[in-house]
Amino acid sequence: MSHWLPLAAFVPLVAGALTPAMARGRPGLARGWALAVTAFCTFATAALTRRVALEGPFSYAMGAWAAPLGIELRFDEFSAASLFICVIMLLVLVYSGPYVRRALPATRIDWYYSLLLINLGGMIGFVITGDLFNLFVFMELVAVSSYALVAVGGGRTAALAAFKYLVAGAVSSVLILFCIGVLHALTGSLNMADVARRLATVESRPPVLLALAGLTAGFLVKAGLFPVHVWLPDAHAIAPSPINAVSSALVVKLGIIGLLRIFPLFAAAGAVSLAPLFEALAWLGAISVLAGAFFALFQEDIKLMLAYSTISNIGYIVLGLGLAGELALTGAGVHILNHALIKATLFLAAGAMIHQSGHRTLHDLRGIGRAMPWTTLALLIGALSIVGLPPTAGFPGKWYIALGALESGRPGFAVVVLVGALIIFIYFARMLNAFYFRAPSHKEMLGVSEAPASMLGPVLLLGALCVLGGLLTHWPVALIAPAVGRLAGGE
Amino acid sequence: MKKPLVAVTLAAAAVPMLIGVAALPRPGDPTAPAHTHVAAHYIEAGARETGADNRVTAVLLNYRAFDTFGEVLVIFAALAAVIAVRSPATPGGRADDMPGPGPGLPISPVVAFIIRLTAPFIALFGAFVIFRGHVSPGGGFQGGVILGALLVLLSLVLGRGAERPLLAVPLARWLQAAAPLAFTGVGLLGLALTGALLGYPAEPERHALRELMMITLDVGIGIGGAMIILGLFLEMRGD
Amino acid sequence: MDDLWGNIDYAAFVGLFCIGLYVVVAKQNLIKKLLGLNIMETAVFAFIVTSGMVDGGTAPIIGPGATGPFASPLPHALIVTGIVVAVSITALALSLIVEIYRQCGTLEADELKGAE
Repeated sequence: MSHWLPLAAFVPLVAGALTPAMARGRPGLARGWALAVTAFCTFATAALTRRVALEGPFSYAMGAWAAPLGIELRFDEFSAASLFICVIMLLVLVYSGPYVRRALPATRIDWYYSLLLINLGGMIGFVITGDLFNLFVFMELVAVSSYALVAVGGGRTAALAAFKYLVAGAVSSVLILFCIGVLHALTGSLNMADVARRLATVESRPPVLLALAGLTAGFLVKAGLFPVHVWLPDAHAIAPSPINAVSSALVVKLGIIGLLRIFPLFAAAGAVSLAPLFEALAWLGAISVLAGAFFALFQEDIKLMLAYSTISNIGYIVLGLGLAGELALTGAGVHILNHALIKATLFLAAGAMIHQSGHRTLHDLRGIGRAMPWTTLALLIGALSIVGLPPTAGFPGKWYIALGALESGRPGFAVVVLVGALIIFIYFARMLNAFYFRAPSHKEMLGVSEAPASMLGPVLLLGALCVLGGLLTHWPVALIAPAVGRLAGGE
Repeated sequence: MKKPLVAVTLAAAAVPMLIGVAALPRPGDPTAPAHTHVAAHYIEAGARETGADNRVTAVLLNYRAFDTFGEVLVIFAALAAVIAVRSPATPGGRADDMPGPGPGLPISPVVAFIIRLTAPFIALFGAFVIFRGHVSPGGGFQGGVILGALLVLLSLVLGRGAERPLLAVPLARWLQAAAPLAFTGVGLLGLALTGALLGYPAEPERHALRELMMITLDVGIGIGGAMIILGLFLEMRGD
Repeated sequence: MDDLWGNIDYAAFVGLFCIGLYVVVAKQNLIKKLLGLNIMETAVFAFIVTSGMVDGGTAPIIGPGATGPFASPLPHALIVTGIVVAVSITALALSLIVEIYRQCGTLEADELKGAE
């Protein structure tokens, strides 16, 4: 058995708990420690991803208890998302150094790194676990640390945004726990593979439907899909910029990965058919694509604009899940990964601009393209990617989803994909216009300098990854192909 | 929220839930899957496989120890979260804070005397609940809460606020991480002995070691839980 | 309908859950919302623990001389975890409420909208 699998979640969690004790009052040490631990996780998840690419999914029995008795960790193709999580967290930690020195009170910095490590461990645990209740525990780890990280910067509305996020998150968690309880009462088991097997013989239909509907609704709230997105814009716009990158690029994706984990449970169940649910998901996703993009158009605040674009992109992914063909699922899977890169680029670049200039609306940021050329370049590459222009990382996901819509004879949804991209293109044009072609609203804008190297470096690297992610699409596509085949074939 | 919308939300939650739970196996039915599958194995083989008479403890610390590991981190994260949200923007303190019960709030001498008198017994009871958790009702969390409540009471009576904590801050930081540390120690020992993280040795001649490992976890959870409750109290009292 | 009568315990917890949900969505005061959340959590905990009950069963502490039937230990262990999670969320929510009150001077959601 490969011990990298449990250690990838175990190590960052323990390290997070030890951070405040080890690095009390020494922010540099806290950051170095967090970086070292995240580097370890990156290495571990890279090794695991390589193994899953070569050999296919594998399991680890915690405490040597065989599957239904103990907790099974299972690393499948979708768990490779943990590698993206680690890479983005690594860059966020590098970026955090100069950022938090100015933006956070000194007494909070060691706790900030502690919470980030716990968040990282929770996310890794969430994507690698093969047990329903364990999934819930890791989900709550991510949730508690995310709520706090939204409010960690202080400020007038931060606590309120965090509280809204907490209520929405906790209600959805309670719903998910209730449905896990229903599944346990029906099958007597919590192991996902075991539950799937035993649900196949369950005859009574209503509780199975209830569990399916409840879990789907709960995870959609976590993913921030329109119309259950109300908590998302505030929480994602008010938090410190590195946290935006984590929550918008990674944490909302856990809702989607949760969906990918629960659908196979019901695939073999004779009592329910997934087809009506997928139909509903496709419609919800399509509405979310348009609504998110539409709201983003009217935002002046650059971070709010990015938050609404997250809702739009979650819509794309859910639309891909709902279409449920092999092409559309491939598109959804690729977009889960690539949107993480793109959104991290956008939020970190926007955060660097806000950090250096002190302004956050498009109007105030006019002319920044000349003052911070590299950051602006990275932001525009990210914006091009989010539009979905080839050869950037946003293209393949949307392309596959559109192809999937055509393949399943639903050209209307392909039009939605296109229209969403066009609306996004409008706000890309607005940004381009404001940053390069308008006279600065503030004279001191031309005196603004580039962010320090440890903030600029991650931004540029992510910008480069946005292009690479578009050019090297065949890797993730080939990686998730077996998992997509299982999902599409299981219905 | 508007009244009709509230009604629709409630109906959308209540009707499917009622229909769904109506078709669940009757609670208490001994032939229900919840009793015949995994649970039956825990009850029948739990003593042999884990050495714990209290099967709840067997599940918590042995079969599903990884859940418990996540759980101790959730409560640690709550402490970290509260401190990150509440700690003063400047090291000096919160000048702009609303007036709260300060550390100098007088406590009735009767209350103080009673608390001092009962403190050793509460501590003994907490320790008993922790150490006997594997054979009787109790365990690390329950005992930890008792000890934590005792620490809160004592800091009230002794008039100690965040400025003069009962324990030095560096020591308190390590003790707050006691539960993850205990899990690390036990987990790695299990890895060395059985080849699986959080595994327990099953050979009969190592049963004493197995019991020791479970008690270590319980003690770690208890101390960590008590310290975290005290930390939460000190952060939240607003002085 | 017969089924629902047989599962009246579960139906009661659904009722409790909906009371909590009502408080969360309909009440403006943030502390009441938090209380509603706790009611929902309690309802789910009670539901899961009840699913582990068995007719005439006792606690699953099986020392020498104990006789069955025994309740399933699994839901109890899950709910210990669940309670700890709920306590953590409550602690964090209360500290956020204290911060909100300190900064805005009110805890009514409709008044806070104006304060934003």
